[in-house]
Amino acid sequence: MAQVIVITSGKGGVGKTTTTANLGTGLAQLGHKVVVVDADIGLRNLDVVMGLENRIVYDVVDVVEGVCRLKQALIKDKRYEGLFLLPAAQTRDKNAVTPEQMQSLTNDLKEMFDFVLIDCPAGIEQGFRNAIAGADKAIVVTTPEISAVRDADRIIGLLEAAELTDPVLIINRIRIEMVKKGDMMNIEDMIDILAIDLIGVVPDDEAIVISTNKGEPVVTDNNSLAGQAYRNITRRLTGEDVPFINMESDAGLMAKLKKIFSFGK
Amino acid sequence: MPQENAIEFKGTKKGIYVQIKPLNDYAIIKQLLIEKLEKTKSFFSGAKILDIQCDTLTPEEKEELENLMASRYQMQIHKEVIIQDNTPVIDEIYQGINEGITKFIQGTVRSGQRINYEGNVVIIGDVNPGAEIIAYGNIVVMGSFRGIAHAGSNGNTRACVVAYYLDPTQLRIADKIARCPDGDYEKPKGPELARIRDNIVYIEPYLVKR
Repeated sequence: MAQVIVITSGKGGVGKTTTTANLGTGLAQLGHKVVVVDADIGLRNLDVVMGLENRIVYDVVDVVEGVCRLKQALIKDKRYEGLFLLPAAQTRDKNAVTPEQMQSLTNDLKEMFDFVLIDCPAGIEQGFRNAIAGADKAIVVTTPEISAVRDADRIIGLLEAAELTDPVLIINRIRIEMVKKGDMMNIEDMIDILAIDLIGVVPDDEAIVISTNKGEPVVTDNNSLAGQAYRNITRRLTGEDVPFINMESDAGLMAKLKKIFSFGK
Repeated sequence: MPQENAIEFKGTKKGIYVQIKPLNDYAIIKQLLIEKLEKTKSFFSGAKILDIQCDTLTPEEKEELENLMASRYQMQIHKEVIIQDNTPVIDEIYQGINEGITKFIQGTVRSGQRINYEGNVVIIGDVNPGAEIIAYGNIVVMGSFRGIAHAGSNGNTRACVVAYYLDPTQLRIADKIARCPDGDYEKPKGPELARIRDNIVYIEPYLVKR
């Protein structure tokens, strides 16, 4: 039975779209049949991040309005056989689709794929309600900022109200050296407040910016720490028990080096 | 969304009560109500609504829903206030500080959620920043309290707020307001209790020091 997973956060700019693109690509790498759905109608991005923008003919609004068949709107990824994108419309807004339509759409997709990943727009209005309507599971993305954690908390409350219980958490863009200095919220504090299970921690990585601009998800980059983190999350999604990357040891080494240098002064 | 029974209509001889389950968000409640009324438009047209019963709605939100039902669905709103002639308990301050009606809530109360109760409130879980607990009586949190508390909200100055970890954004007791200091401050080391003493909100540990 296919899983429908919505990737949401409340706050904008924390990395929902990047996460969706990377998890989708990661799952396809493992050989699963995956579709990523962009629910951010009017502000579509997922196609750009995946480098598929120039292939769009039909979009999700065309599908629900019956302008085209579902299969016509699905865009096949350029790298992976089992990966497809259902893009959002750019010229419409969130009210072009209703939660019921999204629900029947995800039901149709469920029959064709192993994983349906939905990229949720920021905010808690119509777009959010559409995105979560057909989901069985939710991933909440946050960054180690007090505002992002606050919004994540609000979102978890709304998910629970919509009977999407037990969402899992991805902490994005963490900088261990800043956490160590006490300049950034640490992982324990965030989990203490949000009180949900952690499925992954993604370090802040320049490779993300580079790969996003190139339209190639970082998960395919074997040398990047963020790519490794996304690969681990992907495997955890499929039910594997993968230990968390030890980011501490690297930072520890850096700290030791710094100590040596500071003694020299 | 699978929330069939979140809103129920209870008919009585005098009219209909709208009962709404708590813990849902206002926007969702409003949408569910509209969906429900859309389906049964003709049946409820002209129906007498006595009251909306829901613990988590504010009076303003209730009023908005009532206006919606009255204007869009031609329902009549009959508030129950006029039914009894000499209601003895109307402005009397809730006195149930040592004992009295109590609401128990299990789970985390999150940002954007609000608990409003005409008695004591006990939370078995955490209260996160951005959440509000408003009670006529005491507020007891069996976890961390980081939100906004208003104990004795109808003027009971003897009400108190207790938590295992009391670090509220804002703390109100009756008509007194306290907030945590700006910048860094000493975090609580153990369970604490807040109450009014000499017209000021005092926060102190309530377990005897060992």
